[in-house]
Amino acid sequence: MVEAEEGTDVAKAGEDRDDGLLSRYFRYHRVHLAVIAAFLVYPFIYSFLSTAPVVGSTFDLFLPDVETMVFVVVIGLFAMSFDFISGYTGYLSFGHALFYGIGAYFVIMAATGLVPFLSDETPYLLLILYGALFATGAGIVVGLVSFRLTGVYFAMLTLGFAELANIFIRDWSYLGAAPEAGITHGPGFSLGVPYVDGLQVHIGRLVGDSFHSFFGLFGMTEQIAQETVSFYAIGLLVVVCYFALQRIIHSPFGKVMVAIRENEERAKAVGYNTYWYKLGAFSISAFFAGIAGALAAGYRRGASPDNSFDLFVTADALLAAIIGGFGTLAGSLYGHLFHEMLDDFLSTESHGLARYLQGIIPDSVLEAEIVGELTLQVVINGLLAGRAELYLGLVFIFFVLVVPQGLLGTIRERIGGTAAENLPDHLRRYIRGLRK
Amino acid sequence: MIVELFFQSGGTLTALDVPLSSTPVTEVLTDAMDPGALARIVLDSLSKAGLYITIAVGLTLIFGLMGVLNFAHGSFAMYGAYIGGVIMVVAVTSGTGDLSRLVIFFGAAAFVLALMTVVGGAIEKKLIRPVYDRPPLFQILLTFGIVLVLDEAARIVVEWRGITPRSRWEGPFDTLPAFLSARYDVFGSTIRGIWLFEIAVGAVIVVGVYLFLTRTRYGLYIRAGSEDGEMAQALGIDIRQAFTLVFGVGTGLAAFAGVILMWDPRFGASVPLTIEALLIAFVIVIIGGLGTFKGTVVAGVLVGFIDGFTTWMLPNYDAVEFALVSAVLPGEWAIPMSSNLPEATMFLALVVVLIVRPQGLYGIEEVGGH
Repeated sequence: MVEAEEGTDVAKAGEDRDDGLLSRYFRYHRVHLAVIAAFLVYPFIYSFLSTAPVVGSTFDLFLPDVETMVFVVVIGLFAMSFDFISGYTGYLSFGHALFYGIGAYFVIMAATGLVPFLSDETPYLLLILYGALFATGAGIVVGLVSFRLTGVYFAMLTLGFAELANIFIRDWSYLGAAPEAGITHGPGFSLGVPYVDGLQVHIGRLVGDSFHSFFGLFGMTEQIAQETVSFYAIGLLVVVCYFALQRIIHSPFGKVMVAIRENEERAKAVGYNTYWYKLGAFSISAFFAGIAGALAAGYRRGASPDNSFDLFVTADALLAAIIGGFGTLAGSLYGHLFHEMLDDFLSTESHGLARYLQGIIPDSVLEAEIVGELTLQVVINGLLAGRAELYLGLVFIFFVLVVPQGLLGTIRERIGGTAAENLPDHLRRYIRGLRK
Repeated sequence: MIVELFFQSGGTLTALDVPLSSTPVTEVLTDAMDPGALARIVLDSLSKAGLYITIAVGLTLIFGLMGVLNFAHGSFAMYGAYIGGVIMVVAVTSGTGDLSRLVIFFGAAAFVLALMTVVGGAIEKKLIRPVYDRPPLFQILLTFGIVLVLDEAARIVVEWRGITPRSRWEGPFDTLPAFLSARYDVFGSTIRGIWLFEIAVGAVIVVGVYLFLTRTRYGLYIRAGSEDGEMAQALGIDIRQAFTLVFGVGTGLAAFAGVILMWDPRFGASVPLTIEALLIAFVIVIIGGLGTFKGTVVAGVLVGFIDGFTTWMLPNYDAVEFALVSAVLPGEWAIPMSSNLPEATMFLALVVVLIVRPQGLYGIEEVGGH
């Protein structure tokens, strides 16, 4: 809060002054910086609150753990890439899991020596890049064919391609004896500057990294420290990707994408060859979806058809984009944060609501029969443990019907512009109004 | 699957333990001409065509009139399968005669059809009506949200009753009349009795829907509404009421298809039936051209035969070799047989049709676009 206040003061002072490029850039991105700062301190807050005596389990119930946050940023990036094409050009890419899956499988295949001409010693960051380029190639091929169609037909054709890939990968005997189960790379990956050992960190759960003892100083357990290291390393890459996507959206190219969404005929009439713009946007989107897939597979140290090429992987991006705000880019991240928090809250594991309630409600109440054989225990297990999909679906329907703009879209509507530009001024006016 | 890349690369790259023996495609076609094989392929294909048309016809009606691509269609079929299954399991005991089993089945199917028609109508009124003025995207999203809720709700109930939602429910198979569960011998191939039953039901559905569309007042409304909704409204047709009715009937037909699927050992009631039925319905409706009844019937037969033929190939061959491909590309290329082959071929057909004829076989170009 103090930081924000200082920021607004600087802004006030410098509003009419011709500042240096850097400070203007900094001022424009202060909301972004605040969000990044919040994500940076989160592991410490979580570690502190969830291990606190007495109230620790309550905080553990409501706060997503750090590993969940890793998936929030990774799937968040995937959802952003989905939003980039679907939210900004209006072409629903229902087979987006194809590109995510290619990124995921490429990394694991390369690391296990299954990709010809590529050493299994290749640094992870380069593998991510190659995998994303592979996904881009697939995007170009799929796009060349699919952009001859519009609307529902486009959505179905991309879905068709993704399902073909899904079936293919389940049967690809080249991957091993049981391709259906996916492939794994046991030793895991190190993310960082290629060929410089000092600037790389192991991601995933791996014991004995020097960074872990560093975070241990802040009272983190070994497990949280490991997850925090991965969270920071992956988060950094996701932030870079976000700014790249955001830059493209705000470029003249991005304006044409929005023009295509609003009225493609008119964009054509003005003289834009919309086919090539759509194809360009689609391949960029595929590139970043590939990165997200490569990161997820690297963290999991494996990929399987169910968590890469499946229709429900695309559905995750769709849910995130709608709840966060369709066509807002950053909204996808918050949309998926909501999704993961709900999953975490209703988890079947020890930090889930079901176990928590079973812990605090006495057994006599749990075992008592309400109607017939139905006990509270059965109701809790049946309706709460691992049932996030049900409530997520209800929330999703609610958003589609009542809040079609999504979280970030509604905020934008309220403050009349993007949060990055208008939120600080809006907050300042709001606080001033409170003081009077 | 499609082309086995690195298939023959040798060395460290192959992970195959058993070398596959590949058969040239010409030989496969000759084998299929054997009377026994042919009878099996044709009857299996026609039974699948009947089933698939029954699944897809509701989706077509809804899209044709309302322009809504209903993602929840598969879920309705899944509900039909479970509700129908429950009725059968409760009503049929081991002493029930064959004929009364059939009567109970049709009673259950009629009940499910009526119940889900009402449910579908209610869903249209309460949930889908508010999003008609929005871009088509929102209708897809809304029905997709309904899928999430319906599937999870089904999972809760099914798990609570101690049945595994992921795998097919075996209970209803015991309620099949003997003459439907029996296998018959035709030219040396085995045919299941239920296949013939499905062909008959499919034919009745096709004729029934055709008569409904061409001979009844509501069919007229639907055809007029599909052609030009505004004009139909201007001429005094209550298009909103027609929307509710068609969505209800489409839902009911999906559930009706589910009741038949529940009896068929190739499918059976399970929660993943949602996706299976939905994808089949999508493929057929898109290949045929969105919203055309004729297209759906033709595409249903086409997909049925694709499915029937590839299913027949599965146990008989290790891999099929295409002389044409091997002549063009270096090395040997063959398609190994796997249980996913029918599904893969179906999607391949979808992709090929959309590339060659973007609006589907009988579709009109403007429909389904922006």
